[in-house]
Amino acid sequence: MSELLNTLMQDARVWQGHRHQQTTQPSELTGYQILDNQLGGIGWPKGALSECLQDVHGIGELHLVLPLMQRLTQADKTVFWLNPPQIPYAPALAREGVNLDQVVLVHTSDANDFLWTLENCLRSPVTGLVLAWPGKLASRDVRRLQLAAEAGSNVCILFRERQHAGQNSPAALRLELAPETNQALSIHVLKRRGSWPGQHCSLAMAHRADLSFQEAPRVIQGPWPDNRR
Amino acid sequence: MLWLYLHFPHLLLDHLRRDRENPQAMVIVESTGQRVVQACPEARNQGISASMRLKTAISLVPELAIVRAEADREARILEDQARWLYRYAAHISLVPPDGLLAEVSSLQKLYGGLPAVWQTVEQALNEHQLTAWAAIGHTPLSGRLLARAGTGEYTADKEHVLRALKQMPLSAAEFDDKTSTRLQRLGLNTLGEVFALPAPELARRLSPETLAHVQKIQGTRPDPRSPWQPPHTFRQQADFIQEIEHSQGLLFPLQRILSELEEDLCWRQQDTDTLFLVLRHRHEEDTRLRIRTAGPEHRSESFLDLIRLRLEQKPLRAPVISLALSVRRFLGREAPAGQDLLGETQDLNEAWHTLISRLQARLGELSLTRLSPQADHRPEHAWSATPVQQSHRIRQAIPAHFPRRPLWLLKGPQPLAEQPVAWLSGPERISGGWWDSQRVMRDYYIAQLKSGQLAWVFRDVQEGWFVHGWFG
Repeated sequence: MSELLNTLMQDARVWQGHRHQQTTQPSELTGYQILDNQLGGIGWPKGALSECLQDVHGIGELHLVLPLMQRLTQADKTVFWLNPPQIPYAPALAREGVNLDQVVLVHTSDANDFLWTLENCLRSPVTGLVLAWPGKLASRDVRRLQLAAEAGSNVCILFRERQHAGQNSPAALRLELAPETNQALSIHVLKRRGSWPGQHCSLAMAHRADLSFQEAPRVIQGPWPDNRR
Repeated sequence: MLWLYLHFPHLLLDHLRRDRENPQAMVIVESTGQRVVQACPEARNQGISASMRLKTAISLVPELAIVRAEADREARILEDQARWLYRYAAHISLVPPDGLLAEVSSLQKLYGGLPAVWQTVEQALNEHQLTAWAAIGHTPLSGRLLARAGTGEYTADKEHVLRALKQMPLSAAEFDDKTSTRLQRLGLNTLGEVFALPAPELARRLSPETLAHVQKIQGTRPDPRSPWQPPHTFRQQADFIQEIEHSQGLLFPLQRILSELEEDLCWRQQDTDTLFLVLRHRHEEDTRLRIRTAGPEHRSESFLDLIRLRLEQKPLRAPVISLALSVRRFLGREAPAGQDLLGETQDLNEAWHTLISRLQARLGELSLTRLSPQADHRPEHAWSATPVQQSHRIRQAIPAHFPRRPLWLLKGPQPLAEQPVAWLSGPERISGGWWDSQRVMRDYYIAQLKSGQLAWVFRDVQEGWFVHGWFG
């Protein structure tokens, strides 16, 4: 019995508020030192869901997962993109060092197919990372996905809208993403397994458009006169 | 030379019965539909016998399943039997409509004697749920006569065979009707009495053909048989007496066919990646399904799994009266890579095939794509998506230098609706496409919108402003 309890503590399944303990859950580092520190040196949990909540695309959300994607595709693990909202642009991915042979795009036509596909991808040993844009998900479905994620040992990141931040979710890690000044990405930890949430950090993301971090926005007024717009 | 003859007394019946989960009384009627030709054991128990009138049979068993005999169907089924027999014997010839001939004297050494040969064949017959009367003779015809008379024995002794033949009644000796009557009028009743006649007299008084027949039985005249060659394709068919309305009902016969396919592939040491499944309907056009796996495969469970997924996706259009599975494409088998000696680590390559095949079977082949950059300046032509195929999994040569591009490309340029709050870099002029009349003349900028998004915007030659990508 005590062995069972110990296991529960070790895996951080029982949350101990009074004591912050280093847990031993399998995970992948995010590749951003600041964020890893905020997450207690854990990073993206493996065998569990992670959620990124954001309102708009193009705020650096892909660059957040890019270090992991580079690492996994180089190690011959497959990265699935499930129903991406736009086209992942191959030349840009190749430029960032992602092995495109290991990137598979999947498009599904309805919610049932989506859940089925995601479950299958999560259970397979070849999968390293699944990026999914689910659209609307009932919390029952999130639970189903969490169970599927536990069956495998992959990182699964769901990109959802910020309005779901209030919704109860069994995901192990929930991050709220928002743009900040200087093209930085502000990350608010809504939930993480085994410890207190509420951390906040800001990652410099200006390099995603080759802009130097310090540089104040260079205002280009030309080549058009203002009144023409 | 010794010949093994297999006579299948009710081949069509066996073929139909093994695809049914719960056999019921069934008869085969001749093509005019008047008389019963073959009756299954269940039917025989209820009093039906061969050569009974169909009307009588129906009045005995009202729920009788009736199948009309068709010559070409029987020929096809016979060939199916030759296919598995070919694994045990090299020289086979077909004797339509219901016999197979195999040369066995050369097999004795391989199997260790005639009883062992027989045991192997009998076991295979049991596995295929077939009834066959077998006999060994020193000529093809003697084997055939003994087998059809049901008095076959497993002996290599020529004298023994000849003794058995001599006692055979003339009616079983397969002379044509006219010769048979004439011989009977001469007062001959057994084959032995015909053998005793002097050969020149037999040819002169009856016909040279009769003499040839007798000599072929005895083995004094050559009786060459052309060997059957197995086809290079796999094809199996299941015919149903009752139409099958739900795809669930197709899985039982498919399971048998697929395990035969697996056996066939194992025997050939080959794999396949494409199966063709044809479902015949009574009044509608056939449903043709092409089942593809992402990589070479031979296991019946994974084929069945894929077919099940396909059938679940698409309900049957009409009840099915028969199904045929064929394989035309065979691939050499590769040794599983990356497997340790104890087989404890999973074969990732295989797991990859399984996953991709499953997804493709359910979502359609075009739903899974792989990206690659293309050599073009125009952003919308600088990438391509191709369906995932294992065979083309070659690492592409990636150019050393790419210009800075956004990670998200919009499916088509969207009009820029607001004034950006900051212009960060640009312009980058992209002009090209005069060669294929998809002309592009644009100045690209990187701009930040009010929402915080980094956008890749351009102004085209008509001075319209568009968003073409997001720096995600």
